[in-house]
Amino acid sequence: MEKKDIIQSFKDSLFTGLIALALFGPIVGLRTVSKGEGLFITPQWGVVFLLVGLCILGRFLININSARRTEFKIFSTLSSKFSSITEDKAKHFAITGILFAVVFPFLPFTDRYFMDVAIMILTYIMLGWGLNIVVGLAGLLDLGYVAFYAVGAYSYALIATTFGWSFWICLPLAGVFAAFFGILLGFPVLRLRGDYLAIVTLGFGEIIRIILINWYEVTNGPDGITGIPRPSFFGLPFKRSPDEGETSFHLFFNLEYSTMHRIVFLYYLILVLALITNYFTLKIRKLPVGRAWEALREDEIACKSLGVNPTNTKLTAFAIGAMFGGFAGSFFATRQAFISPESFTFIESAIIVAIVVLGGMGSQTGVVLASIFLIGITEMFRDLEQFRMIAFGGAMVLIMVFKPKGILANRKPTILMHGDKK
Amino acid sequence: MSNLLSVENLTMKFGGLTAIDDLSFDAQNNQITSIIGPNGAGKTTVFNCLTGFYKPTNGQMFLHKEYSKISLRKYTDFKIAYVAKVARTFQNIRLFPAMSVLENLLVAQHNELMVASGYSLFGLLNLKSYRDKEQLAVDKAKYWLDIIGLTHRADDNAGDLPYGDQRKLEIVRAMCIEPRLLCLDEPAAGLNPKESAELNKLLKFIKTEKQTGILLIEHDMSVVMGISDHVVVLNYGKKIFEGTAEQTKNSKEVIEAYLGVDE
Repeated sequence: MEKKDIIQSFKDSLFTGLIALALFGPIVGLRTVSKGEGLFITPQWGVVFLLVGLCILGRFLININSARRTEFKIFSTLSSKFSSITEDKAKHFAITGILFAVVFPFLPFTDRYFMDVAIMILTYIMLGWGLNIVVGLAGLLDLGYVAFYAVGAYSYALIATTFGWSFWICLPLAGVFAAFFGILLGFPVLRLRGDYLAIVTLGFGEIIRIILINWYEVTNGPDGITGIPRPSFFGLPFKRSPDEGETSFHLFFNLEYSTMHRIVFLYYLILVLALITNYFTLKIRKLPVGRAWEALREDEIACKSLGVNPTNTKLTAFAIGAMFGGFAGSFFATRQAFISPESFTFIESAIIVAIVVLGGMGSQTGVVLASIFLIGITEMFRDLEQFRMIAFGGAMVLIMVFKPKGILANRKPTILMHGDKK
Repeated sequence: MSNLLSVENLTMKFGGLTAIDDLSFDAQNNQITSIIGPNGAGKTTVFNCLTGFYKPTNGQMFLHKEYSKISLRKYTDFKIAYVAKVARTFQNIRLFPAMSVLENLLVAQHNELMVASGYSLFGLLNLKSYRDKEQLAVDKAKYWLDIIGLTHRADDNAGDLPYGDQRKLEIVRAMCIEPRLLCLDEPAAGLNPKESAELNKLLKFIKTEKQTGILLIEHDMSVVMGISDHVVVLNYGKKIFEGTAEQTKNSKEVIEAYLGVDE
């Protein structure tokens, strides 16, 4: 490394500092505080200088590192070790993970907060697995996946509040409705690919949300739907004092009443739903239709030349992906007991796509790791209020820098001729 | 030997450009028919019309079955391969690079496997009837891999194979749909002499052992002259000559088209 290089990289990092100053100066430096009758500006130049200094230092280190033309050894060994662990012991890893998930509610440190976060992560894992069929396997970039989540949630909420049917009847119905919307979206976008497809699906997601806001007579508009029935344990509700002629869960099992019963039940419910999604995806991937999805992702023209019907293949991918989104949506509705269009904004779609892409397209375990990493880190920094989105962004950047193809980017063939060599 | 394909007065216009102009020719069963011509003569356009990627402006294409004939114009898109059983390969190889060699060959048998899996239902239930059918499909794939000597690489990604092997794999993938007519678009492009010789052997095998007619676009004259039973020469979308390989070699029109006329 020459002296000239060092001076060059130093100049470059100073320039970076200048850009950082221009950005952080007004955004962080000038803080508005409302005091009494008006807004006042409180400058916080100390924080700005700290941030700018960090940028300069970081840029300088990156420059020097790239000039050496070698990677930081720690990172490369870490990442290769990580992939070797997960590849070789994928099965053990999965079984341990599922076992841990099963005993999780009974671990000593598990409290209400942990359970809520775990339920949220599992919901995202399920959504990620559902979207993985569309994005990871069939290669159709769907930026409006939250639309199916919304359709599932609203179908469940409307059916349950109008007809009073039980969760176990509404759940499949919500899935069917969502699948129907998946096909509805599928038809106009059949001819589109790549960026064009992404834009149209993004628009579809917004259309659904805006319909939910404006169709006041049915969806109750921005006020949302309240009083969505909670799920019952095979007919036993989780109530402190059940209605006449009803037995509630804690009375039936002779337990002390606790709100945790319902939370734990919800936890197992989403765990089972997510595992069903996973099992289904792993199975269908090895069937002709799954192979056709992947072939379509690889080369659509070659598919046509082999007699694979691209229309049907794409529509099944959209429908099945949407169906799982719908299941997750009805779970969301029954958990919250209240839904409004605000829960189904574009950022939700973006997070789910981020989970699938960062997990490694098509990798089921990758989705789990990415969900835990992204949602977990965001939750860990909840105390930082609005800055926690920085943690989310930071987590994404970290994965992109060190694992540009996703956390687990290895694809295993769906069928082997010579058996597993290992 | 019987008539397999007859192309009658085929015309394809792109705006003002006439890519194929009133082309008629026949191809026979169990024969290799080569279409040759200088660059831009319209050879690949003929293929694209035959395999449903383009809809021709004019003309008819018939595929003869034992007692009937079907018009290829009626089928578009994937139905050419699915219903009419016309398979093709591409000038720039179009494998599924991130899928294994075996998976590539199974996708080619998609439609039979789809029915066998009860449109996924039997497959999800893991019924024996489906597993048996899948095993048959794997056996068929193995049969073809044995022929091109790639069985040991069946579980590797198709994109990781050497170029010559990818060419051969694309051909046997097309053969897995059990086509009646196989259209090969420059299969020898980029192959070294040894690989070309292997290709010749493979094509001769398909011609003699399978009930398949082969239509071949090729620039490599060692391939064309070595294996063609019949040669059609195109220039500017028109047929300028038709005959055996030997006749073509000595044809004045063909030499003029390739080398120009002595002024």
